[in-house]
Amino acid sequence: MLENCGPRISSLYLHVPFCAQKCAYCAFFSEASSGELINRYVAALVREMELVAHDLQPRTIFFGGGTPSLLNLRQWEKILRTMERLNLLGAEEFTVECNPATVSADKSKLLRDFGVNRISMGVQSLDEALLDRLGRIHTREMVFKSFDTLRAAGFDNVNVDLMFAIPGQTMKIWRATLTEALSLGSEHLSSYEVIYEEDTPLFAQLQAGEFSVDEDLACDMYEDLIARTTAAGFHQYEIANFARDAALNSQLSTRNFPSHACRHNLNYWRGGSFHGLGPSATGYVRGVRTKNWSNTQLYCEQLEKGKRAIESREELSPVARAGETAAFGLRMNAGWPFADFQRTTGHDLRGEWSADMDGLVQRGWASRTPERFQLTHEGLRFADAAAESFLR
Amino acid sequence: MDAAHIRNFSIIAHIDHGKTTLSDRLLHRTGTVATRDMEAQLLDSMDLERERGITIKAHPVTMLYKAKNGETYELNLIDTPGHVDFTYEVSRSLAACEGALLIVDAAQGVEAQTVANVHLAMKQNLTIIPVINKIDLPHADIPQAKRQLEDILAIPAETAIPASAKEGIGIEEILEAIVERVPPPKPTGAPGLQALAFDSLYDTYKGVITHVRVFNGELKAGMNIKLLHSGKNYEVKEVGSFNPKPYVRAKLEVGETGYMTANIKTAAEVKMGDTITDARHPSGVLPGFKEVHPMVFSGIYPINTADYEHLKQNMAKLQLNDSAFAYSAETSVALGFGFRCGFLGLLHMEIVQERLRREYGMDIIATYPSVVYRVTMTGKDKTVKEVDNPAFLPDVTHIEKIEEPMVRAYIICPNEYIGDMMALVSEKRGTLDHTETLDPKRVMLHNLVPLGEILIDFHDRIKSLTRGYGSMDYEHADYQESDMVKLDMLVNNEPMDAFSSIVHRTKAEGRGRALAEKLKEVIPRQQFQVKIQAAIGGKIVASESVSAFRKDVTAKCYGGDVSRKRKLLEKQKEGKKRMKSIGNVNIPQEAFIEVLKT
Ligand SMILES: Nc1nc2c(ncn2[C@@H]2O[C@H](COP(=O)(O)OP(=O)(O)O)[C@@H](O)[C@H]2O)c(=O)[nH]1
Ligand code: SF4
Ligand SMILES: [Mg+2]
Repeated sequence: MLENCGPRISSLYLHVPFCAQKCAYCAFFSEASSGELINRYVAALVREMELVAHDLQPRTIFFGGGTPSLLNLRQWEKILRTMERLNLLGAEEFTVECNPATVSADKSKLLRDFGVNRISMGVQSLDEALLDRLGRIHTREMVFKSFDTLRAAGFDNVNVDLMFAIPGQTMKIWRATLTEALSLGSEHLSSYEVIYEEDTPLFAQLQAGEFSVDEDLACDMYEDLIARTTAAGFHQYEIANFARDAALNSQLSTRNFPSHACRHNLNYWRGGSFHGLGPSATGYVRGVRTKNWSNTQLYCEQLEKGKRAIESREELSPVARAGETAAFGLRMNAGWPFADFQRTTGHDLRGEWSADMDGLVQRGWASRTPERFQLTHEGLRFADAAAESFLR
Repeated sequence: MDAAHIRNFSIIAHIDHGKTTLSDRLLHRTGTVATRDMEAQLLDSMDLERERGITIKAHPVTMLYKAKNGETYELNLIDTPGHVDFTYEVSRSLAACEGALLIVDAAQGVEAQTVANVHLAMKQNLTIIPVINKIDLPHADIPQAKRQLEDILAIPAETAIPASAKEGIGIEEILEAIVERVPPPKPTGAPGLQALAFDSLYDTYKGVITHVRVFNGELKAGMNIKLLHSGKNYEVKEVGSFNPKPYVRAKLEVGETGYMTANIKTAAEVKMGDTITDARHPSGVLPGFKEVHPMVFSGIYPINTADYEHLKQNMAKLQLNDSAFAYSAETSVALGFGFRCGFLGLLHMEIVQERLRREYGMDIIATYPSVVYRVTMTGKDKTVKEVDNPAFLPDVTHIEKIEEPMVRAYIICPNEYIGDMMALVSEKRGTLDHTETLDPKRVMLHNLVPLGEILIDFHDRIKSLTRGYGSMDYEHADYQESDMVKLDMLVNNEPMDAFSSIVHRTKAEGRGRALAEKLKEVIPRQQFQVKIQAAIGGKIVASESVSAFRKDVTAKCYGGDVSRKRKLLEKQKEGKKRMKSIGNVNIPQEAFIEVLKT
């Protein structure tokens, strides 16, 4: 059904729905699980890759979760060998998410050998009490050790995830964490405010009034984040993403993104296509968004029958799709170059969305030049409100 | 029936003194309804009335009673609404009678409504038959009730009949007294038909059913009649009486009471108190007619804007039955399309709102009620305007004076609460005229209070301050000059029309402050600071602010789950669409409703 249309998809996401223990804030689809289900999942994922491989020529691959690093060596090997057999290796950027508690030298080496060239580490905090508060299984020490392990295995592109505005986190704690995190010397930093997702323990605690949200503090932490990362040589290229730039000679402003920006995520924000495999994974292929079942059992059963495990499909009208692409692209500091938008969506941002752009410029939330439209420093703080107006 | 054998009477009483119970007893005793047909409280037909224990409107009932003298009499019981809002309706119903049973609860004694009703009955020169009810109660105090009849109402104590409507005691005596004491109707001596239209209700099949009392001549099907005050002519289709179910009669003669149908399309065509005469030989008008004017106004809006047309239709239906209810379209920036509605009083307003909600299933919100102010303009001609809507109050520079409607309010309460009552009256800008001792334990305070002040919580406050022992009733009095001002609530300098009100200068600031505080709680934060102010004329008297958001972004966008995020944004956008934008501030309608509710 996919064969007949257009070039193959160059971006691949794979979801690993297992964690050693569920974190207090987490609403991703993942569960603490036994070895048996994990093996069954690996077999199903292999099957799903086989079904989709003909439509893939990955330039970016991202293993997310859950906790991909929770898979043992044998399981990883099975997955990677399958990818090899199906010609899915060799991506320009191949990321695996790791929990600092589950990084080992062996695993790092295996990943490295199969072409994984980027690791995203879920650090979240470097304060023991807060790590505990969040229900994270790792300690401060594990973060530093894992980082060294990864470097030793040859990973020269590592991302560190940090959270701020965690209940109980003071400005002082945040600053300490950020200082230590920056001193690790990672190439990429992803940092975001705690989100209270329904059906999480943290949300329930908030509802029960166990703590309250301090918006001013969260804003101050965010400002601090931007100032400190910038001072440390990072370039913010999206609301929550910062990367170093290794290209020495060319000027950043003409390239839109620092060289260590995450290619895989850029593709999402730019409205690019991707296949999503694994339970709960979403895909976006030739204008159709799909979502796999968020149930590992069901996912496995479907694939054991040789069928994909798609729960829902959604295809928007071309203009709605373009509006969505516009909205998400604005999360990036570079905004939307009009030519790129036209190329991606077939629509001119200056047509349908002209009034929306003017409105935002008037509020001081955006700037518009002959080449591009982008949110200002102020506007990025209201990116949701700004994005909303572009939806159709 | 010849007039000598007809008696027309009403029952008047303070609420809960037993009017409905006694009516049922009389119907039963006269065999008008058999025991098995009796459901409790036969005459209170609407749910709402039963719940509140107030008869808003019951139709007249004709009973046949064989008296001790061996003769059979036609007794017509004409119900009166039991609330001061309907004073004029009460007076028209009383005008259809020659006598009234005055019920006084033997345990409670005379209450405020007793006094107001007796005043009305006396104005109509009715023969009053006092009934001291509930004598079966252990704490019944008959001598005390009798003393109060004499002292407060100047009714001879020996005329009172002790009774228990519940136990059936004294019913015989009451019926005999009606026959003996209430004078039979006398023809007016006019050349032809003269009948009083004292009530009407709407029937889907027959159109308006007019309740009539024939004073002169006769009324029968096929006659061409004229309503003198409305000037309209109709052909009578049917006449009859109620027993209590309607039954057709060949004609209604002098002194008789019943109903008439004449293909009348809306209740508004039949003015309360109008005189019905023969169209070809009109007789003169019956005395006492007044045009009814709404006393209290408020905006009614559909909570869901899409319900506007539906609400309009339902208001029209309601008006078919209730000609005293007036409405016209109005729009509010805050609430959208709705109606300016006029009511006879506060209870009437509550009844209409409740009926819209319950009978018609409408989700509505009402704005702060207003009375009708008389505004004298400056300039040579000194024109006087009637203003019932703060939006139409002229600019202060053009106003010479504002007058507000007053009421004479009677409060009856146990002695120990006199101080509290006086404080309440003065808080409500009223003045105590004089006090009257009712018995060793109770007093009656005669006060003059602005109508606008008793609209909101006067009655409830009396009840709670006196732990239920106090009662209040009022009659309309004249207008009085008063220092009224327009209070506006502003959001970022734009007025929120739904919250404008005309208030006394001494109360404006307090009300403004309270409203500003409430609004502050419900107006959502915006990306800029929102100023909420209360202003009198141009002067700011209270001010609050809602701080600005510093951000509006959930910082992380989960990798590929664009759909989910997009749906969240769409929901947010949908939500904003339903908001009203005032002074650039997006405010959900629910926020306005929240404040109006309190
Ligand atoms: N004990 C006693 N209770 C009565 C008597 N008459 C009425 N009631 C009760 O008093 C309450 C009010 O009576 P109701 O007829 O509804 O009063 P209305 O408001 O004047 O119509 C009801 O609970 C009746 O049952 C009576 O003679 N004796
Ligand atoms: S490790 Fe990540 S995916 Fe697993 S529960 Fe914690 S936050 Fe969620
Ligand atoms: Mg009653």
